[in-house]
Amino acid sequence: MVRGGEINLGTCLLINGAPHIVVDREFVSPGKGSAFARVKAKSLKTGNVITQTIKTADSVEDAQVDMVDCQYQYFDGENFMFMNNESYEQFGIPLEAHEDKRPYLKEGETYTLIMWEGEPIDIKIPYKMVFTVVESENYIKGDTVSGATKPVTTETGLVVRVPLFIKQGEKILVNTESNDYVERVNN
Amino acid sequence: MTIESMRARSELVTKTREFFLSRDYVETDTPLLAHWLIPESSLEAFATEFKHPFRKGLPLYLLPSPELWMKRIIATHRRNVFQLCKSFRNAESVGRLHNPEFTMLEYYTVGGDSASSARLTEELFEKLLLPESPKDARPPFRRMTMAEAFKSYAGLDLDSLMERGAMIEAARGQGLRVNPQASWEEAFNIIFLSNVEPALPMDRPLLLDEYPAGIECLAKDIPGKAYKERWELYVQGIEVANCFTEMADPEAVARYFQSQIGKKASALVPHAIDLKYPEVFRDFPSCSGVAIGFDRLFMVMMGMKDIREAISFPFELFFENDKNVK
Repeated sequence: MVRGGEINLGTCLLINGAPHIVVDREFVSPGKGSAFARVKAKSLKTGNVITQTIKTADSVEDAQVDMVDCQYQYFDGENFMFMNNESYEQFGIPLEAHEDKRPYLKEGETYTLIMWEGEPIDIKIPYKMVFTVVESENYIKGDTVSGATKPVTTETGLVVRVPLFIKQGEKILVNTESNDYVERVNN
Repeated sequence: MTIESMRARSELVTKTREFFLSRDYVETDTPLLAHWLIPESSLEAFATEFKHPFRKGLPLYLLPSPELWMKRIIATHRRNVFQLCKSFRNAESVGRLHNPEFTMLEYYTVGGDSASSARLTEELFEKLLLPESPKDARPPFRRMTMAEAFKSYAGLDLDSLMERGAMIEAARGQGLRVNPQASWEEAFNIIFLSNVEPALPMDRPLLLDEYPAGIECLAKDIPGKAYKERWELYVQGIEVANCFTEMADPEAVARYFQSQIGKKASALVPHAIDLKYPEVFRDFPSCSGVAIGFDRLFMVMMGMKDIREAISFPFELFFENDKNVK
C-alpha cells in the first residue's frame, strides 16, 4: 500500500486489478478542504490514461513490481525483443503500449524492465543516453549566430536540436525527458 | 524573474494601493509572527520560538493569513481595511502554483456582503489590467453557483447529496474511488476535483458561488439553505481569490473553533489557539472579506503559466538537489 501523499511520478498503482504507472501527479488543496493528490496513471497493458483523486492521507494499493536488467535486441515488426541478462530468456514486448519508447531503444543496450506477475510491463529509459548522429546537414561557415542549433537524427530515429558544430557520425549525450542535447561525447 | 517582470509587479502593488486608498480603505500592517493562529484543519503552519536568555521561551507561528488580526481591527474601528503582506503555509506542494511563502492581498468591507465584494473585485481587476493581460483574465466575471457546476459537469443534483452516505454513493456512481470512512467534505471534493473543477469554463474569470455548508469555514450561512455566502474566483482554471460574507455570530465562531480543534488533532504542526477570540464577534459589524493570492493574480494578469516566473526567488531553489520534491 502507498499513501496518496507518497505517490510520485513513476509509482506503480494497482487500479481495477491492472498495473498503472503514474505519469502526472499534482497536489491540490481546495480552499478550506482536505489535501488531495490528483493523479494521472497510464495502464501498462493498454496505454490508456485515467485520472484519480486520492486523499493524501489515504492508502491505495500499489503494484508489486520487480526491476530486471534486460538487453534490447531488435524490433520484429510487432514486438520489442529483449533478453534477460541473467537467465538469457528471450521475450517480446508489444509495440502498442510503448511506442513512445521506440526512439530510445538501442540494439545491444541494457535497460531496466518493470515486471509484474512475471510479465514485462514497462521499459525504464535512462535519464541521459548517448546516441550517434546518423543524419545531419553541414552548416555554412560564417553562420555563427551564438546559440544557433540545427536538427539531427540519431541511429534510433530520435530528432534532437544540437549546436552547429556537431557532425554526422559524432556521439551526443541527450536528456531523454526533454530530448535536449547535453554535450558532445568523445570516443 | 526578469527586471521587466519586477517592474510590472511593483506597478501592480502601487495600483492596488491606489485602488483601495481612493475608496477610503485603511491600509493595515498586522503581525506576521504570532503566538496564536485560527484553527484551520486544512492548513499547516511554520513554527518557531521566541528565545528568552534566562527564562522559558514562547512558541510562535508564521501566519497563514492576516485575517485573525484584521478582524480585530474591524471590531474596534469599524472601518474598511486592506493589507498586502507575506503569508506562510507549510506542507503544501511546491511548484507551478504554490510557494510556501507568498503574498496575500486581503480586503474587508464593512456593511458589505459576498455579492458587493464580487463587484468590488471586478472593479479591482479593471484597474489592474495590463495591456498584455490575456482575454481570459479580463472582466466581466462569469458567475456560477456550485450547485449549477455540479449539475452541468457531473450531472449531479447537489441539493439532494447533503448526507455523507449519499455523497459517497454519488462519487462511486461516477466511477471514483472513495474510502468508506470518507467525510462528506472528502467525498464532495473527490467529485469536485475529478469531474467538476477540470471542466469549469476558462474563457473569462469564473466566480464559483455558494459553497456548501458541509465545507466548514468562517463564512455566514445562507438562511434556510445548506450553502454559505462564499465564492472562489477561478482565473485560467487557477484559484485566485476566496470571499466570505463573514460569520459575525460569536457562538457560531466558537462552534467552528471547537470542530476545527478536533480535526487539528492529527496536524503535523500543532499550534496554540486563542480560545477567547470568538468574543471579538460579540460586537462585530456585518462585513465581507476577500483574500487574493497576489502572486497568482500577478501571474494571470501577465499571462504567465508558472508562479515561479512571478517571484524573484522561488522556494524550489532550496530543493535543487532533490528531484523528488515537487
